[in-house]
Parts: sequence; structure tokens; C-alpha cells
Amino acid sequence: MSTYEELVGDMVDVLLGDDPDEVVTWAESVLEGGVAAVDFFNKVFTPAMAQIGDKFAALDIFLPELIDSAERAQAISKDVLEPIFEAEDSGAQISRGTIVICTVQGDLHDIGKNMVSLMLQVNGFDVIDMGINVPPRLALDKAKEVDADILGLSALMTTSQPYMKECVELRDGFGMKDQFAIIVGGAPITAEYTAQIGADAFGKSAVEAVEKCFALMEER
Amino acid sequence: MRHRSRLVNVLERAESGPIMKEADFERRLVTPAIKKAVETYGIEFDDSTLVPNDDDLADRIFQAGLEVAAETGMFCQDTSRRIAFTRRELEEGLRFCPGEVTMGAGTDAVVARAREPEVAERPILVGGAYGVPFPEDLFVPVMLSFAKESVVDVIENATLETVYGKPIKAASPWEVIGGWREAELSMEVIGRAGRPGMCIGCVETSPTALAEISASSWGGFRPTDWHHVSTVSELKTNYDLLAKVAHINRIGGVMESYYNPIYGGYVGGAEGVAVAVVAGSILMNQVTMAHTISTRPDHPFLGCNTTPELMWAMSVGVQALSRNTNLLVGTLVGPAGGPGTRTVLYELAAYALSMTVSGVAVLEASHTAGGAVPRHVSGLEAKMCGEVMRATSGMSRAEANELVMRLNSIYGPDLETKPIGKPFEEVYDVVNVEPTSEWRGLYDEVWDELVDMGVPLDALV
Repeated sequence: MSTYEELVGDMVDVLLGDDPDEVVTWAESVLEGGVAAVDFFNKVFTPAMAQIGDKFAALDIFLPELIDSAERAQAISKDVLEPIFEAEDSGAQISRGTIVICTVQGDLHDIGKNMVSLMLQVNGFDVIDMGINVPPRLALDKAKEVDADILGLSALMTTSQPYMKECVELRDGFGMKDQFAIIVGGAPITAEYTAQIGADAFGKSAVEAVEKCFALMEER
Repeated sequence: MRHRSRLVNVLERAESGPIMKEADFERRLVTPAIKKAVETYGIEFDDSTLVPNDDDLADRIFQAGLEVAAETGMFCQDTSRRIAFTRRELEEGLRFCPGEVTMGAGTDAVVARAREPEVAERPILVGGAYGVPFPEDLFVPVMLSFAKESVVDVIENATLETVYGKPIKAASPWEVIGGWREAELSMEVIGRAGRPGMCIGCVETSPTALAEISASSWGGFRPTDWHHVSTVSELKTNYDLLAKVAHINRIGGVMESYYNPIYGGYVGGAEGVAVAVVAGSILMNQVTMAHTISTRPDHPFLGCNTTPELMWAMSVGVQALSRNTNLLVGTLVGPAGGPGTRTVLYELAAYALSMTVSGVAVLEASHTAGGAVPRHVSGLEAKMCGEVMRATSGMSRAEANELVMRLNSIYGPDLETKPIGKPFEEVYDVVNVEPTSEWRGLYDEVWDELVDMGVPLDALV
């Protein structure tokens, strides 16, 4: 049987390979070979996804490959691992948390937000992406509806920053401060601005956003 | 203007073009189209030649970009439709593009003309803070730091952080007031600079169409100013942007459209960025009917466009356009370094050199410190670009490449550290609007170094 290290390498290969249908059969074959599902998740799936994230952070792969990898990993998660965990009633957690993410009102840019969304997905978060130009009330309603752990807000333009502030104010004003954290990011956003509006975290890049979300989850 | 007669046709296509999801447009259409074109035309990034001297490569990139433009069209976010054109229509649009435009009025007017690689006629220089956020009290000093420089032909505004002390909120009345305040302060700048007819890049504080449409009217910005219509990466537009197009069209304004492909994003690597620059420029000409067509590719993590990959992509992309069209191609430099650093001066010199010999018609400076750090930009950055541009117009690409490679080896290791330098008020005397002796001294040292390297900055004619 291959070592876990070899399996991680194999999984990275199938995530980035030419055949999108190969991932599920590959994962099934590994489990049929005697690897326990929980070990597969912790020692193969998670480190492989971290490697994919690292490759994107180094721009060894680009956004289209990152999207493909996230989708393929999701297929393994939904089609292979989740049914086993449910049947075993093992209590094993695939998701590291639920994050609602959007570009705030007045801003129609989405590539930076998409990169963050994908990096969160490859790192095990359930991400609900609301898209662009999202008014504060809609973002808050969605976070409440899905019982999110974190609400991620992106803005590329200074003129959309006031909507971030409004979002934090409305969350706190409606008594939802303890229900979910708010992380902000985007080209003009700074740590000082984050503190000024009372958001809980700031990610200056897609990589840092993931690190900050892990930290926010630990605090919860 | 003859090149703007298709406005209604463009708007009609935004209502009737093929329907698709926005995410599918980028992922299922743009990404595969660019990948295929890169393969078909054998385009390969070469990090040993950041200013290629290969006409065949430039022409292949042009053909690749034209093919992508015809395959994808531009996506309208509001209607979820592609504004699509045939290759023949795109070629006709290029055939009748302006080729030259007068920017500004009276004795302050300048003419931008289409250029080709290595020609002696110099590009025009736009100098400004390019959307870098500034507080109201520093807006006039920072913009005056550009307008005062003789090498600067056109100024480009900073973004106001507030209006009358209040945040400017997109799509709200604050945006309208912000646009008007920007116009008032801009007129003060060109008045104090003694250049009342100078062309002004505007309306910077216009995330939706509100500020552009309100402040580009009687008493505000003038038709002779340089009115901006962006696109949304990758290759997308929307009603707000098309409303700006319609307004600028009807006031007969000078228009700039720009597109900033993201390196490592949907367009892929250096080769994809080069093709996207061409495809985007062709589509902007067709959809926005702008006079000048600009681009500023972006590194997703460093925020700059002076990495080897992007220097190469910009050079070949501009060469592709300047050799094959009469588009007034502009490029905006986005150095990682900031005011008060040597790094930024080396980056600016390399970029200006590369773009000048590649055939850019409009050189734009500067998105200093990546363009996103509040108050981190100053007039000296544009001065460096302007001086290098004047000194190297007519230089061969081969000679320019040697210089750019040397400069890149000097500044390259600094990019990862993002040396953002100091804010404007720490590198300029904001009352007299003069660089501090420290910043000016650093400029002079690098200037001398460039002369020693072989950049003829000291030539008197």
C-alpha cells in the first residue's frame, strides 16, 4: 500500500490532471485498498488541498486550475466521504466552518473575491458565494439564514467601503455580533480601517484570508 | 465622431446577444479561448528577453487576441448577455479607430498619435495619482506635484477619501457631490499650475455612472478632459459603464477605456495576459468607442505590473497592437515600490523604457506602491517616466531590452517585500509642493546612475 505521503502526491495529480471524472474512482479505490475514511480525510485529502492552495499562492497553478481542483475535491467530499461518515455516524467533521462571502454594494469586481472563495473551499470551508454588488441587509440575512460562522466582505473601491462599515454596524445593531464574525478585504482595505469599523479580521491576500478564517474559527 | 456611430448598435447587442451565466463566461469561454489561442499561435514567455525584438511573435499575439475577441465578445453583467461581434466587424472597427486625438484645450492641448515600435516620435505622458486615495486637504498639493512637472502632458486624478469630511458612498448622493468636488479641486490645480487648458483624467470618484454624468456637465469637467470608462475583469461591462459611454459620447468628450487582466487569474500566465491585452483592447475599441485604450495588468499578490512575466506580456501585447492597428494604446505603470525608495525609480525607468520602444501612444504614471496604499504617490514618479520616455523614444528594442534586464535584476529582489516607502506628505513640502531634499536627492542619484548605464537622460534635445 502507498504511504500517506505518496497518496497526497497522487491526489494532487488527479486534482490537476486532465480527467475530471478520475477523482471519485481514485478516492474510492484508495478506500477500498484499506485506508479508513477518517484517515483519508485527515492524512490525504486535507494535506493535498493545502498543497493545491500553496501552489496557487506561488502561482505554480492559476485560477482555472484552482477552480477545477476545488470542484473535484468537492466531488470526493460529497460523493465518497460524506456518505461514509453519515453511515458510520462517526461525528467526523469534513467542513471547517461555513462562510458567506460577497463583494459589497456599489462594487462589481469579483476576481479577488473569487480567489478568496476558492482558497477557502480548498482549505475545507463550506462557502456560500453571494456574488457582487450585495447590499448589507442581504448579506446579513444570508449569514443568519445559513447559520454562518463568518461573513466575508470584499471591496476594491474606496467608495464601497462605507457599505462594509454599514454591514458591521447593522450586524451589531441587530444583536448578531456573537452569531458570526466579519472579515474584510480588498485592495484599499487596511488593518487600521478594519479596526476603525469594528470588523473582526482583515485579510490582505487570499492566503492571509484563509489563515485569518482559521484563527476566527478557533476563537469561536 | 465617426468611430462612435455604433453606440445604439452596441447597446442593442447588450440586450440581444447570447445569454450565459457570468461565471461561465469567464471559465467556459474566456479561459479556454485564451488557452487555445496561446497554443495555436505558439506563444511562449521568455524571461531572458523582457522587451522582445520579434515582430513575428508580436503579430502572432495580435492574431491570437483578435481570435479571442471574436470568440468571446464582451459580457454585460446587467443583461447576462454577450455583446458579440464578428471578426470582420472588429477589423472594421479597428480600421476606423481615431488614430489620433487632441487632449486639452488652447495652448495646453496635446495630441496623442498612434505609434509603432522604435519610432522617434514620443508618446504623451499622463501623470497623476490614478485613483490612489487622498484626503481632501492633500488633493490639490498631490495633483499639483504632477501638473507642475514640464514632462507631464495630462494629469490624472487621485480618489477623494471624503467629501466635506464625509465618506463617499457609491451609488448615493455622496457620489454626485464627490464628483463635483473633484472637478472643483481639479480646476484649482490646473489654474495654480498655470495650465488652465490642461487635460484632466476624470471622473476618478465615479464607481457608478452618477458622478461621471453629473460632474461632466456645465461648470464641471469639460469635453476636452479625459473621461474614463473602465471594464470589469475579465472582459466585462455593465449598464453603469455603458451609461458613461453614452454620456461621454453625447457630450463629445475625449474618452479612455481600460482593462486590467489579472495575471494568474482566468487568463492564465504571461502568455495569456499578452493575448488578453490584445483581445481586451480590440473589444474596448468596439464596445466603448474610446479614443485611448489603456491597460494595466495586475499581479494578484504583489499588486504591481513590473514582474518579469508582466513586463514581457505588456511589451509584446503593446507591440502586437502598435504594429497591427492605429489604436491609441496606453499603459499604466504599477510599481511595487513607493515614494522615497530607489526601487520605485528603477521600476519606473524599466517600464517607461519598455513601453516607449514597444510603441505605446500614451504612457501613464503612476500606480505607485501598487496603487492601493493611501497617499503613497508623488509627482516625481511621473517625472522619472517622462524623462526616460523622452530620452529613449527611437531606441531599438534590443538596446532597451539590455537596459530593462539590468534594471530588473536590480529591483526584482525587492518586489516581494513591497517597499511602499513614505506617504506624499513625507516626501514633499505640501505648502510649496516641492519634493523634499531627501527624495529629490535620491531621484538625482538614480538619474545619474541611469545615465551611466546608457539611458541618455542628459541629452539636451
